[in-house]
Amino acid sequence: MSAGLFDVAVIGGGVVGCAVLRELSRYRLRLVLLERRSDLAEGVSKGNSGVIHAGFNVRPGSLKARTNAAGLRAIYGLASALGVPHKKTGKLVVAFDEDGRRHLEALRSQGERNGTPGLDIVDAAAIRNLEPEVRGAWALFSSWTGVISPYEFTIALAENAWRNGAEVRLESGVTAADCRPDRFILETPAGPVSARWVVNCAGLQADEVAGLAGPADFRIRPFKGEYLVLDKAAGDLLRMPVYPVPPRDESSLGIHLTPTTEGPVLLGPSGETAEDKDDARSTRGIMDRLKAEAFRLVPALGRIPVIHAYAGSRPKLDGLATADGPADFLVAESRRHPRWINLGGIESPGLTAAPALAEHVAGLIGAREDLRPREGFEPGLPGRPRFARLDDADRAARAAADPDWGEMVCRCEHVSRAEVREAVGNPFGARSMDAIKRRTRCGMGRCQGGFCTPRIIGILQAEGLKPEDITKKGGSSRLVFGRIKP
Amino acid sequence: MIDRLTCLLCPLGCELEVETAGGRLEVRGHQCDKGLDFASEEILRPKRNLAASIPVAGTDGRTTAVRLSGRVPREMIFPVLAEIAKLRPAIPVRRGDVLIRDVLGTGVDVIATRTVV
Amino acid sequence: MIRDVDVAVIGGGPAGLAAALGARRAEARVLLLERDDCLGGILNQCIHDGFGLVLYNESISGPEYAERLAEDAVREGIVVETGAMVLDLAAGRTMRVNSRGGYGLVRAKAVVLAMGCRERTRDMIEIPGDRPAGVWTAGTAQNLVNLRNLRIGNEIVILGSGDIGLIMARRLTFEGLRVKGVFEILPWAGGLERNIRQCLFDFSIPLELSTTVIDIRGRERVSSVVVARVDDRLKPLAGTEREIACDTLLLSVGLIPENELSRRAGVVLSPATGGAVVDETFMTTVPGIFSCGNVLQIHDVADGASLEGFEAGKNAARFARGAVAAREAPAGIAAGAGIKYVLPQIVRRGTAGAGLHFRVAEPRRNVWIEVCGRSSGTTLFRRKYPRLLPSELQRIMVKTAIEEDLEVSAHD
Repeated sequence: MSAGLFDVAVIGGGVVGCAVLRELSRYRLRLVLLERRSDLAEGVSKGNSGVIHAGFNVRPGSLKARTNAAGLRAIYGLASALGVPHKKTGKLVVAFDEDGRRHLEALRSQGERNGTPGLDIVDAAAIRNLEPEVRGAWALFSSWTGVISPYEFTIALAENAWRNGAEVRLESGVTAADCRPDRFILETPAGPVSARWVVNCAGLQADEVAGLAGPADFRIRPFKGEYLVLDKAAGDLLRMPVYPVPPRDESSLGIHLTPTTEGPVLLGPSGETAEDKDDARSTRGIMDRLKAEAFRLVPALGRIPVIHAYAGSRPKLDGLATADGPADFLVAESRRHPRWINLGGIESPGLTAAPALAEHVAGLIGAREDLRPREGFEPGLPGRPRFARLDDADRAARAAADPDWGEMVCRCEHVSRAEVREAVGNPFGARSMDAIKRRTRCGMGRCQGGFCTPRIIGILQAEGLKPEDITKKGGSSRLVFGRIKP
Repeated sequence: MIDRLTCLLCPLGCELEVETAGGRLEVRGHQCDKGLDFASEEILRPKRNLAASIPVAGTDGRTTAVRLSGRVPREMIFPVLAEIAKLRPAIPVRRGDVLIRDVLGTGVDVIATRTVV
Repeated sequence: MIRDVDVAVIGGGPAGLAAALGARRAEARVLLLERDDCLGGILNQCIHDGFGLVLYNESISGPEYAERLAEDAVREGIVVETGAMVLDLAAGRTMRVNSRGGYGLVRAKAVVLAMGCRERTRDMIEIPGDRPAGVWTAGTAQNLVNLRNLRIGNEIVILGSGDIGLIMARRLTFEGLRVKGVFEILPWAGGLERNIRQCLFDFSIPLELSTTVIDIRGRERVSSVVVARVDDRLKPLAGTEREIACDTLLLSVGLIPENELSRRAGVVLSPATGGAVVDETFMTTVPGIFSCGNVLQIHDVADGASLEGFEAGKNAARFARGAVAAREAPAGIAAGAGIKYVLPQIVRRGTAGAGLHFRVAEPRRNVWIEVCGRSSGTTLFRRKYPRLLPSELQRIMVKTAIEEDLEVSAHD
């Protein structure tokens, strides 16, 4: 860990912050990412459907549309290079009547203006062909839409940046900023961090972080969304995201069905205004509505058990929505302080747009400085070997060479001890149960950690952690209160 | 004072009513004498077995478990547990090993139930 | 690495150990595959007594029960592999097995499924609220306390009055933790009467029926739960909500037979039990694949799982040596009025003396249990019971040879 002056400090370890860090690591810059929580992807990027949007659902001419289109072109290659699970599944937006059909036409037309490839209006027969379990009269089929793991993508971006010399510091929330003419001195729990540029990617807290450098000229309001997760058996019934046309009134949530790369299907997100940026509670009313609407669209899902529920909030720019729709992405250098760049309101299609937003930020820096390419920049990551996806020969070879490949820690997702060991040793020091879960899939199956958690606690203890220091998600979320008998 | 309890001795599961008045016991609802004895013991002198787990010394956090070789008066549960909490048997521990003989004068032993070698 | 065996038993708990012994004693070459480091399965963490009343005529603890069977298994020449997880099972009885000793295939002439069960989770019953640390299923908590000596919390609320929840209420009280209450959504308790008395009543731990948890609060660690009474459709009643401060919520809300492997092998499962459809020999719908123990039906008493295991193992050995005729269209046994489920669900026609397991759907008093032919209407079995509880698995025997489909029902 270096002291001294960084060229760029990125605040916020979500998909946008990590994409910015990774993009900047192409250049000879001293880089640091400061994340306030105990792991990456624990804020907005956690409550994310993981959809690679093709770009037909954004206003033409907007920054959203431009970065969505550019991001789409980059993201599939980038995900492959980084070894992140993803799939170009296609997507159906489904309509049931003439009104809906007109809406689909409007979407297609909008998509064409945005340069979205592969959009077609299809009929009921085609829908049945593509997705036998889905009900609908017409649909917009978008062949370039895909799914990706949002947290694995975020972590891979950061790890790639790290391999290329960037630093990543967790539990390093920025609480104050001393803005000098030539640098910013950021106060963190571990001490001050100085940087010539600051890129604020703090998601829901972007306005508060912007406010560290004088009154922010934007405000972020949380717009909450709840999800339900269906058992991976649902993945046999649905292979691509399916959305109904947005409802005309509030009688329905217009909720989305999104398969994931590993099999479980997401229902949601819902959309309601929230008071509290950290509100991640699941509620009875919304859970019931998510199920009711999902099972109306795809009745066969009704027999698949719910295995998980979660919620998060989209960072909405307050007061900047127009008659044309929600506010555009905000990416702007602070008027008061040059070289402090704020990103605000990066909600959907933020994940898809992230690589393009990162290039945009690099462009803002490059316009004022000479960015020299880093020698030996590594654009890819080997991608972690997953026991669950290896073939018999590979499994046998690994188990023979390293018995930790022969020991199953997660019975539902077939994760080996070798993978857990690898995850515990991650370069950022994230060692909460959720951090291990994100990196291995332990705890994401139907038993939700019932089998693996005691084993992982044992592994962490073997790594030297005291039992009372093992947390679910950092902070005071300790799992146990020490030993019963010393 | 009226106590209600279900007799556990046979599948009939008679629901018993036990009235304690002035040191005497009246039992109602039983259909045999064993039920009478059961109720009397449960109300006047309830007895219990118990189990606990304890760390085994000389291992990295492995535990063994213990139970009693017989039942003890219910009011002895926590005093016996306190004695058990002091135990730190060293490896090897074998199923059946007597870790405390005649614990607190109850006539009952604390025995190991899990072999740790 | 490919190994060939006569009988492979998947799971080394009370059912699997017995199945391995049953098969061995019927002279098969037996391989017992257990994913944990040692044999015993769930028995290893069940340190309380109450086991062995049938098998050993004694009341001993889970670990002792397991060790006795495990010692028999080794002494009688069963090949035991611990730390070995079966990842896949095909209908042709080939398994993919992973262990620290290596990864490979096992081919068996007969397979006994004895994988036990897993626990119903918070999200399966959709409890709303925050997602803090401190929410555990009771079995996982039992593992942490009894095997790892870990203090799971200080102030505990338990949802579910099944035996695991009751046992944990006592266990945690023994260790000085405060159990503030046990809440049960149904109007009756799920666990054995003995446990209600010895785990709750003894320690003045309140048991509230017709009550459930409707909210979990706490951003990082549980800080409280909200309970509410429910109506007769089990829906929370407005105005009855109470917040209870606590740092731990234990869930004892049901066990689910762990039939992943069974599904992969194409074994037909029964929605009523969550386990395989089996015949009177414990053979599933896939020839040569047998099932026993908690993976077949959730048992209240481990001895029952073992008794099934001995039978299933013996029959698996017979199948392995080719001594079992193909099963023609069997008779079906249905659960009628008042019966939650019956097992086996199919029986070879002509079988006399078939043993049937059943559970009533609700507590009953002075109830007649009848087994009738569905075409003929003939009563093959009739018995009156003073008292039957859903939590107590019942066994009856139909002496007459079964030639037609039957129905088991409960009448006042």
